[in-house]
Amino acid sequence: MIPLELVIMLSSAMFGIGLWGLATRRNGIKLMMCVELLLNSANINLVAFSAYQPNLNGQVFALFSIALAAAEAGIGLAILITLYRLYGTIDLDNINALRW
Amino acid sequence: MYADYAYLIVGLPVLAFVLTIFFGWHLPRGGGFLTVLATFAGFIISAGIFMENFPEKVVHQSMHWFATLNVGILIDPLALVMLLMVTFVVTLIHTYALGYMNGDPGMARYFAEAGLFTAAMLGLVYSDNLLQLFIFWELVGLCSYLLIGFWYRKPSAAAAAKKAFLTTRVGDVLFLAGIVLLYNNMAALNLPDGTYLLQFPVIYENLAKIEPTQLTYIALLLLGGAVGKSGQFPLHVWLPDAMEGPTTVSAMIHAATMVTAGVYLVARMFPLFYAAPHGLLAVAYVGGFTAIFAASMGLAAFDIKRVLAFSTVSQLGFMMLGLGTGAVVGSFAVGVGMFHLIGHSFFKALLFLCAGSVIHAVNTNDMREMGGVGKYMKYTAYTMLAGGLALAGFPLTTGFYSKDEILVTAWEYGVLGHQWLPYIFAITAALMTAFYTFRLWFVAFTGEARSDYHKHESGWIMLIPLMILAVFALFFGLPAQEPFYEAVGNNFEHYGVNFEELAVIGGHHVEHGAEVHEPFIIKILPILVGLGGILLALLFYSPWRRLDIRKFVGERDPFRNLLLKGYYQHEIFTAWFAETVVYGIAIIMNIIDIKIVDGALNKISELTLSTAGTVRKVQTGVIQNYITALILGVVVLVVVIKLAMEVGL
Repeated sequence: MIPLELVIMLSSAMFGIGLWGLATRRNGIKLMMCVELLLNSANINLVAFSAYQPNLNGQVFALFSIALAAAEAGIGLAILITLYRLYGTIDLDNINALRW
Repeated sequence: MYADYAYLIVGLPVLAFVLTIFFGWHLPRGGGFLTVLATFAGFIISAGIFMENFPEKVVHQSMHWFATLNVGILIDPLALVMLLMVTFVVTLIHTYALGYMNGDPGMARYFAEAGLFTAAMLGLVYSDNLLQLFIFWELVGLCSYLLIGFWYRKPSAAAAAKKAFLTTRVGDVLFLAGIVLLYNNMAALNLPDGTYLLQFPVIYENLAKIEPTQLTYIALLLLGGAVGKSGQFPLHVWLPDAMEGPTTVSAMIHAATMVTAGVYLVARMFPLFYAAPHGLLAVAYVGGFTAIFAASMGLAAFDIKRVLAFSTVSQLGFMMLGLGTGAVVGSFAVGVGMFHLIGHSFFKALLFLCAGSVIHAVNTNDMREMGGVGKYMKYTAYTMLAGGLALAGFPLTTGFYSKDEILVTAWEYGVLGHQWLPYIFAITAALMTAFYTFRLWFVAFTGEARSDYHKHESGWIMLIPLMILAVFALFFGLPAQEPFYEAVGNNFEHYGVNFEELAVIGGHHVEHGAEVHEPFIIKILPILVGLGGILLALLFYSPWRRLDIRKFVGERDPFRNLLLKGYYQHEIFTAWFAETVVYGIAIIMNIIDIKIVDGALNKISELTLSTAGTVRKVQTGVIQNYITALILGVVVLVVVIKLAMEVGL
């Protein structure tokens, strides 16, 4: 079995990449992908813990989380399409109509 | 068993209100039948409670509300007769309104507001504590405002509604002050925990412990509330103006039910008024003076509804006087006052509905333009005659029994209490009542038509309620009076109120069982003034007249003009007092409001705005900035927690 530490390192790395992406990217699609990375790193953790401490709770949670992520992606993409129709861009820096 | 459904007496009209206000537009006749049915169901339940409990048992249901207050239902004989009267009369008036209001674009609104009014009035009647009564009291006032201003596009109706609301508000503030004062006094008694301080049985039980001067203050403040609601002098000015509403509203609210709430309040708090030195004296004088004051204005008015409105004010004065005589006749006075209240609501509702029927046909309120209406509206004319006879106190009608009893007790009040003025006022007012009632009837219904109007009778839906009310106006008095006086006069025995003890506090010298011998003339004087008034009207105004009114009272007669102008009250109250004194105060208040109150407020809002203008720069709107801040925050938090754990905090 793969040692738990390795799995946690993997998920931490994914989380870090996601955060870095969120903080630096401007493109809406890329931001969404980063959010997916964050979610999935958490999923990896859930599944890993579930495997090492033998019960199924973690995996059930992971399933919920995946369903949630799908819904979130659906809505997020819909919003981005609408924004694109309105502004002709999905660069979030240019979408500032409600800003002071 | 019926008592278990007592809450429905208020609940069903509320339901009807909700249904008609939302869905009335889609229902035939504005959903009015819902309001009629709800009120009628209330009557059935009340009648059931009457059959089961009257007059031995009292229905009392109570629920904790908060602190030392409760909500509850109290149905004793006093409340029960009111419940029966209100549900009965209001059912008939709602039925009549189905015909009268038909075709009005606001019909659904009318029935919704009428339903709310019904619920509020019934709630007022069977509240078991003073605060709950006050809440319904205010609701009733609100409905009165809404319904007077029902035709709100008419400026005079809007003004009348405002006047009614503001005038009764003066009384309501006094009433509230009275409740607060009573609460304070009750709280100071240190009653055991869990006692509801404003519950009527608790008040009755602990009255004797409150200081007499405090009792007088409370009684006078409560009387202030009653004066406002029941249109007694000097707060009567709103009632004649309230005739701007539809006639059914006048009948329902400003004649038969709502305006009796003030009288009911005095009856409900009778032990308190009895125990308060000078409490009942004030009631008797206010009532007696109002009776003659309003009756005299009724002599000269030309508007058919205003005559009836003045008559209502005057009759409410009679009721107050009846209650006020309790100083010598004890709790029997409650029976006397309340019997006139019940009888009056039958014949006054009848008179108003008949007047509405006439107005419906003739399209004017001015009785000088009517004349000979009786030829074309036979049923209306005869039912109105029945109401008029009852109001005038014609022997053997309902009004005769109730008014006769008030006059006789007022006379006893003169003999035993040495207060003769109320009796003199009342007997004169009784003469005037008979006169103006038949003046109205002769001028409107007999003789020749004086203008061109639609000569048709109203529909059956309007006539049947008139006939039922006419039967009650004529024949209710004789069979009902003895059991009524017995049950309502002894209402407070259910609570063990000791009137002898209270009489000592109130300073009444009542010799119980002392029979006063009434001379023959006192016994027949009420009949004589009633018949005399009718005869005078016959001589002056009927087609068989023998005397010409113009020879006695000319166009320029100062007394006639004084009455016609209503003692120049409008000129004094509105034109002079309101427009100089009150307006002057209002200007000063306005300056204070703008400079100081608004000034402070504006400064505060400016400060808030400028601060926000500076701080909002932080909100860059760039998501990356937010996320960076978020991450930094988490990192700092983790480091701080880690360090804290290292240190061992």
